[in-house]
Amino acid sequence: MASIGIIANPASGKDIRRLVSHATVIDNNEKINIVERIVLGAQALGVKKVFVMPDSYNMGYRVEDKLNSCNELKCEINVVNMQRFDGMEDTVKAADYMEKSNEIKCIITLGGDGTNRAVAKSIKNTPIITISTGTNNVYPTMLEGTIAGMAAAAVASGRFDESKYKIKDKRIEIYKDEELIDIALIDAVISNDVFIGSKAIWNMDTIEKIIVTRSHPASIGFSSLVGCKEIIYPEDDFGAYVDINSGNEKIKAPIAAGVVESIQVSEPVILGFNDEYEFIAEDRGIIALDGEREVEFSKDQKLVFKIRRTGPFHVDVIKALEVAQLNGFFKL
Amino acid sequence: MKKMTYAEGIREAMRLKMQEDPDVILFGEDVGKFGGCFGVSGDLWQEFGDERVRDTPISEGAIVGAAVGSAACGIKPIAELMFIDFMTVGMDQLVNQAAKMRYMFGGKINLPMVLRVPAGAGIGGAAQHSQSLEAWTTHTPGLKVVYPSNAQDAYGLLLTSIDDQNPVVFIENKVLYAMKNDVDENELKPIPLGKARVAREGTDVTIITYGRQVYDSLQAAEELAKDGINAEVIDLRTLFPLDKETIFNSVEKTHKVVLVSEECKRGAYTGDIAAIIAEERFYECDAPIMRVGALNTPIPFATSLEGYMVPNSKDIELAVKSLF
Amino acid sequence: MKITNEQLKEMYFTMLKIRKFELRASELFAEGKIPGFVHLYIGEEAVATGACANLREDDYITSTHRGHGHIIAKGGELNYMMAELFGKEDGYCKGKGGSMHIADATRGILGANGIVGAGHNIAVGSGLAIQHKKTDQVCVCFFGDASTNQSTFHEALNLASVWKLPVIFVCENNGYGISVSQARHQAITDVSVRASAYNMPGITIDGNDLFAVYEAVGEAAARARKGQGPTLIECKTYRWRGHFEGDPVVYRPEGELEAWLKKDPIPRVEKYFVNNGVMTEEEIKKLNDDVDKMVEEAIDFADKSPVPSLESALKDVYSDIVEEGRVR
Repeated sequence: MASIGIIANPASGKDIRRLVSHATVIDNNEKINIVERIVLGAQALGVKKVFVMPDSYNMGYRVEDKLNSCNELKCEINVVNMQRFDGMEDTVKAADYMEKSNEIKCIITLGGDGTNRAVAKSIKNTPIITISTGTNNVYPTMLEGTIAGMAAAAVASGRFDESKYKIKDKRIEIYKDEELIDIALIDAVISNDVFIGSKAIWNMDTIEKIIVTRSHPASIGFSSLVGCKEIIYPEDDFGAYVDINSGNEKIKAPIAAGVVESIQVSEPVILGFNDEYEFIAEDRGIIALDGEREVEFSKDQKLVFKIRRTGPFHVDVIKALEVAQLNGFFKL
Repeated sequence: MKKMTYAEGIREAMRLKMQEDPDVILFGEDVGKFGGCFGVSGDLWQEFGDERVRDTPISEGAIVGAAVGSAACGIKPIAELMFIDFMTVGMDQLVNQAAKMRYMFGGKINLPMVLRVPAGAGIGGAAQHSQSLEAWTTHTPGLKVVYPSNAQDAYGLLLTSIDDQNPVVFIENKVLYAMKNDVDENELKPIPLGKARVAREGTDVTIITYGRQVYDSLQAAEELAKDGINAEVIDLRTLFPLDKETIFNSVEKTHKVVLVSEECKRGAYTGDIAAIIAEERFYECDAPIMRVGALNTPIPFATSLEGYMVPNSKDIELAVKSLF
Repeated sequence: MKITNEQLKEMYFTMLKIRKFELRASELFAEGKIPGFVHLYIGEEAVATGACANLREDDYITSTHRGHGHIIAKGGELNYMMAELFGKEDGYCKGKGGSMHIADATRGILGANGIVGAGHNIAVGSGLAIQHKKTDQVCVCFFGDASTNQSTFHEALNLASVWKLPVIFVCENNGYGISVSQARHQAITDVSVRASAYNMPGITIDGNDLFAVYEAVGEAAARARKGQGPTLIECKTYRWRGHFEGDPVVYRPEGELEAWLKKDPIPRVEKYFVNNGVMTEEEIKKLNDDVDKMVEEAIDFADKSPVPSLESALKDVYSDIVEEGRVR
């Protein structure tokens, strides 16, 4: 049996959106509880080794201690040996380590869209299971840790037809001078904010354009501004963009937890996998990726946005467990 | 003459100040609709409402701290602690903050706050609800300490305390709350802090006391009179500033001093007053300066033990007689 | 959030004043010019600056033993501060307070504080006064991670929330309570999670990012001014110096300080200024020189200020009572 990896983002679930909207608070002790249940679910179905990203709260060690103290730890917990920076780069590096490792066959992430975007920067082949502990959770889903651990065990066992549960996701690629400078899994929002600051983006007044890989009224965050006009599914081979505060139709959309805004949105323009959207800045501004201000641009700068199916593979947990069940994975 | 209880004296002073000055507010545990644990705030909540008569959580640190912070920002808070014993929970705010702010900040801040604290034994409250901790407050430069013994004084001293620009610890004796005194309606007015009252004039010995022990001292004086000893009883009313003038005038007249308080004698404020008399009027004394206080134990619960532990008029009488 | 270049420059000016004041204070302490205890704010400048940039002169702050930065950010004047550190007559407190007790009530500075956690409840009192007067002022309460283990933290956040007071609790999580690291003094990494226990918003931000602090406190202040109650904002930061000057700092893991030096909040702002045309490198250099000069002037002012008269020791205990002095 191969091993699994866990990336639990210690910073998710506490940004400024607790102040400016009504977002959920998830503290690190709750993440520890979830990681514990992942480990228990995974080891019960044969996982022998679990790799965990190191973090300032030592979640990996705490889980190990806790499970050891109640005599329930049967597998080995390995906290990845890497230098910590207590920032997003930790997630990127840990994902890179796990991607390159020959043992790790499935990665479970705990975070929101921002966390998974960081993971996606490093991951190409290793499938991921995403548990939402973040703010805007379009990409990850609400999922019980035990079940996630069991599904990861099934995936890591390598015994089943992965085409039944593994899905390659889309992403937005942002190019500057033909160089890929960043990516987003769900949405890229161009705003005339002048600084990155507290990262999260919530203020409609500053927003000019939204580019999405998918859109749905049920997706919290800015992609819903497209979704409330036109639904684009993860499996559709295209994305779209819209102009905000333009056009003559107002719509309502859930742009943040508890915040349903009325806003003018232009007709969505479909962006196929062969299309490129070129943006030339009229003034300086910021691009927010999956809900977080990340990229600064200056006046007259040219940026190119492409939507491609080059995102990570994600695991459909229900399908994976169904395949496992049909093939006798749960029989003693 | 009209009759007024000690508690009414305190309440009516608060009422008057709250009517006069919208920036006077009262807060503490159960001071609102409940009317105060000892009924002192009574109907003030009905008259002034939630915003000016506020129930607080049971958080003595926050109660004293809120008084300090709000006084520093320009209002006049009256904070009530349910028992002086609970002052220990908010002691940092009282001793390290309230008392020292003006001095630490070079005199550039006013703290017009009153902290009302019920003190004393006599209701079976046992060790954590009966103490007399006035020496902890008089020991702390920056605090004024007031301890009235009757309704008239409670009223007049509280009026002055609320207007004072310094933190005032206003100690109330809980056995006295229900006691009715005659009050002179023409004299229901502010009483300056630092002015003692001669409760009984005499020529042979000076009994210096305050609070509940004023009554024990007066009773002792009556008994002593039967034996031909004419005792003068001074009710200090304010512990700091201390009215040394009244004390010294009396000592110069009687040449004998007995100090009486309900504090346990070890480290009691009466010791400080005795030392002041010894330092400044030693040659006026023709007998040792005597002190009567509680025994050096926590306050016991059983009525018999509590009564034994706290001084009474007989103890005062014996102390005086030992000087003759 | 909108911000003008003038506001940005003002904030940068404030950060420089703090940094340079503190660097010189460190040297002056080593030279023996400053007695007592000095706790320096170097490395944490973005927190005080970003927070106070949202405040008006009539807003309040409560501060800590590490208070120089807060006081400068709220408008405290370097001359009087340095004179106070020197224990001189022209100091903010006439030489009676020192580094840990600088206050300026005219600017709403309710004092640095030598007792860890004491400011929490004073801030609640300040919020109570504001609420009573029905103004739209606010009070920012600065405190460290370690003070959140004091009972006062619980008392204050509870009462502020129950009464919906206009208080912004700004936690400077610099990772240490004196020598004890956060991991050893509390079983959480993010102080902000404690907010949910009081039913108030709690967020964690990068305390070395001026913009993040400015924005978060701005949102919290707007909320407080509208009567929507208190907020807890945790700013992750780091103190470069020891707890106090003279601290041998034997407790830091290797490489920790170096990692944080790379997150120095000041060059981050300078880089942003140059990239976005807020200030040129020449203008930045000139402002640095100007602030250097200001600090030297403050030292000169402090040097020349007389030592306080002995009689002054007896004054200011009360508004109206001065006791007798010692006869010598």
